[in-house]
Amino acid sequence: MKKFIIKTSVYILLILVMLEMLIRLFHLYTEDPPRIIDEYGVEKRKPDHNGYSVTGNRNQNFSEFNINKDGFNSYREYNPTENKIEVAIIGDSFIEGFHQDYNKSIGKKIEDSITEIEIYEYGYAGYDLANQLHLIKSYKEQFKLIDVIVIYLNYESDLSRSKYTPNTDRVAMLSSNLFKIRDNIKLLSFTSKIGVLDPVKAFITGKAFTEENEGGYKTNEVDQVEKKIKRDLKYLNNFISLVNLYGYDKDKTVMLLDSRKTSSNFLAYCDANNYNYIDFASTFENSKKPTTLIYDWHWNDHGRTLIAELLSNYLKRKLNQKINE
Amino acid sequence: MLFNSIEFLLFLPVIFVLYWFIFNKNVRIQNVLIVMASYVFYGWWDWRFLLLIFLSTIVDYFVGQKIYSHLNNKAKRKSWLYVSVAFNLILLGFFKYYNFFIDSFIDMFSLAGYEIKSIWTLKVILPVGISFYTFQTMSYTFDIYYKKLKPTKDFIAFMAFVSFFPQLVAGPIERASNLLLQITNNRTFKYEQATSGIKLILWGFFKKLVIADSLAPIVDDIFANYHTYPASTLILGVCLFSFQVYGDFSGYSDIAIGTAKLFGVELMSNFKFPNFSRNVAEYWQRWHISLSTWFRHYIYIPLGGSKVSKLKSLRNIWIIFLVSGFWHGANWTFVFWGGLHALFYTPVFLMGRNRLYSKSVIAQNSILPTPIEIIQILITFILVSFSRIFFRSPTLSASFDYIRRIYNNFSYEDYMHPMGYRMLDFYIVLIFFTIYEYLIRKDERNPFKFNSPYVRFFIYTIIIFSILLFYDDNVNRSFIYFQF
Repeated sequence: MKKFIIKTSVYILLILVMLEMLIRLFHLYTEDPPRIIDEYGVEKRKPDHNGYSVTGNRNQNFSEFNINKDGFNSYREYNPTENKIEVAIIGDSFIEGFHQDYNKSIGKKIEDSITEIEIYEYGYAGYDLANQLHLIKSYKEQFKLIDVIVIYLNYESDLSRSKYTPNTDRVAMLSSNLFKIRDNIKLLSFTSKIGVLDPVKAFITGKAFTEENEGGYKTNEVDQVEKKIKRDLKYLNNFISLVNLYGYDKDKTVMLLDSRKTSSNFLAYCDANNYNYIDFASTFENSKKPTTLIYDWHWNDHGRTLIAELLSNYLKRKLNQKINE
Repeated sequence: MLFNSIEFLLFLPVIFVLYWFIFNKNVRIQNVLIVMASYVFYGWWDWRFLLLIFLSTIVDYFVGQKIYSHLNNKAKRKSWLYVSVAFNLILLGFFKYYNFFIDSFIDMFSLAGYEIKSIWTLKVILPVGISFYTFQTMSYTFDIYYKKLKPTKDFIAFMAFVSFFPQLVAGPIERASNLLLQITNNRTFKYEQATSGIKLILWGFFKKLVIADSLAPIVDDIFANYHTYPASTLILGVCLFSFQVYGDFSGYSDIAIGTAKLFGVELMSNFKFPNFSRNVAEYWQRWHISLSTWFRHYIYIPLGGSKVSKLKSLRNIWIIFLVSGFWHGANWTFVFWGGLHALFYTPVFLMGRNRLYSKSVIAQNSILPTPIEIIQILITFILVSFSRIFFRSPTLSASFDYIRRIYNNFSYEDYMHPMGYRMLDFYIVLIFFTIYEYLIRKDERNPFKFNSPYVRFFIYTIIIFSILLFYDDNVNRSFIYFQF
């Protein structure tokens, strides 16, 4: 028995070491650049980091990221001046773009199309409108010099709060020693990413015993409609509160949104109150090629090209307007 | 509790430690632990079904004693055997076949032009593994009836025999002469047996998680949308289902056999590389062996087996294949599947080739198989895979539709994985899996039989690495044979 336990333990240990080496060798793990909350309370990445983001068990999507001095994934540094034309694109993971090579981002595609402008991408996974408007207000000196601001608004997830509060707990947790260990042991980081550890986590946290049966209670249609009306009302109120709290330059700012997922009441409110928006719903709907990645829901290269074309056309019109003025 | 769940991952070491360190004073105490562990294991699904196992255990325990007490009175012995068979078949019949019979009855009348309202159909939940443990307990009374076994007086040992958790829900369906004897005898820890158990568990997990689970979404997609796919995809679906069901069921069996070894118990082999069978008869000597031998011992031989006229033997063969099909599920598709196998078996039997390969494997004395062997294997694989269209389809009409679509739409198109994964990855894994199984084809109990410890270590690492590479948390990880 003693021999069995010792030998099995040694084998397990050696196999774990081998797995760690194989995972490193094939770069199956994904890197998550450290997160910080700066002196303005803005949550972003720790500046000057680069690495690779990986999706799927078998490197199904592999892309390089580059965190610039401002703490955002971009091919360029941000130095706005009065004599240049700068455009800021602010958004969540779709704009942060860890699923693409940083030099093939939407911003780069726009710059390739309009050479005289500079695109500053302020993307960060999980940003909602509160984050975005708070960021603009916090970096007001920088944004004074920026000529156009594009806010990517994912209606379904970006309007759930009326005030920004920095998520210090999450940042502290991700900077904790436990998470540092996870990130340094690539086997752990990999198994965590592919979901092998989910049942263990569910077991430890007790979720495995408390999860509700999916086939159980379902709300009826009337409830769903009522719920949607309530939600839309809440979102609109949150939008108004956020705009009042952090300000919103209607001349400079435009929202990028998908009208298929956005409430018609919200769009009507925007139309009535001169909040500009670019709707990419029909562009995506008419696309003959898929616009999202296979392994997750983010835009693929084609999707990003379509978005870049839409934004380029908008910016060209805007620039022409400025020249005419 | 599923073998491939976190609960089992914790449950197994705990029971192992208790078994060898705390409950190791004598075999009776160890059996008490086995019973408790088995009831927890089974009750994890639904504790109410524990009552069924317990009832089945009590009935067969007492019937076994009664049969033995009338050993010299054939009529009484037989009547007590009927009690056991009737009880188990009623149990099985109610939980598994009740609705099937009612629906078939209604369908029959509606074909004759009479519409009957289905007021008798009940919402009966099929208890996991009922087909397995009822057959196992019946083997006990059969063996006593045929004077091959003395009944045990140790009720706890008998409970452990019926509910032994490694093989409770999906076999191998053990014979009392093998399992009960081990359960009543003292067991000592053997290093070789335990390591061999761990290796089988690892190999079983590979087959389940890498082969079966990674093919499941593809097979599900093809069978669910067969009317939209060309023949090439439908053929692919059938072939992949063959690998899926083999990986799933033989993977389970390996984990079961390996787990039993950790407790000092040797279960019978259930699979012996059926994909390398040279005819359908050999296939049935290699596929789900515990069930096919059960049918041979308790149905085919009592009916006269092959010692009667050729025509009667053939009748017996058809009976066991049809019953075997019906055992799998309450659906005409399974009966048809069994009938197809009887049909494939008939020419082999008539040519006297049904026992030809019973003691050899492909390329028995050479490294590579002969061209004839390769052709034989391919033909057998095609026949078996073809029959699985009926095994996998929800209805007979869907099965025929599937086949019709293959010849009506005989064209080729690249198949795209439903989740967008690269199909090449799966083909490569299947090729390596087949080659590896070929290398180990002579010993199904020892999948890592290589002299060099470095080679063995390399293979263990690759296997675990593959499990990680193909792990998919979106796949339903239940076992296919649990539904039977």
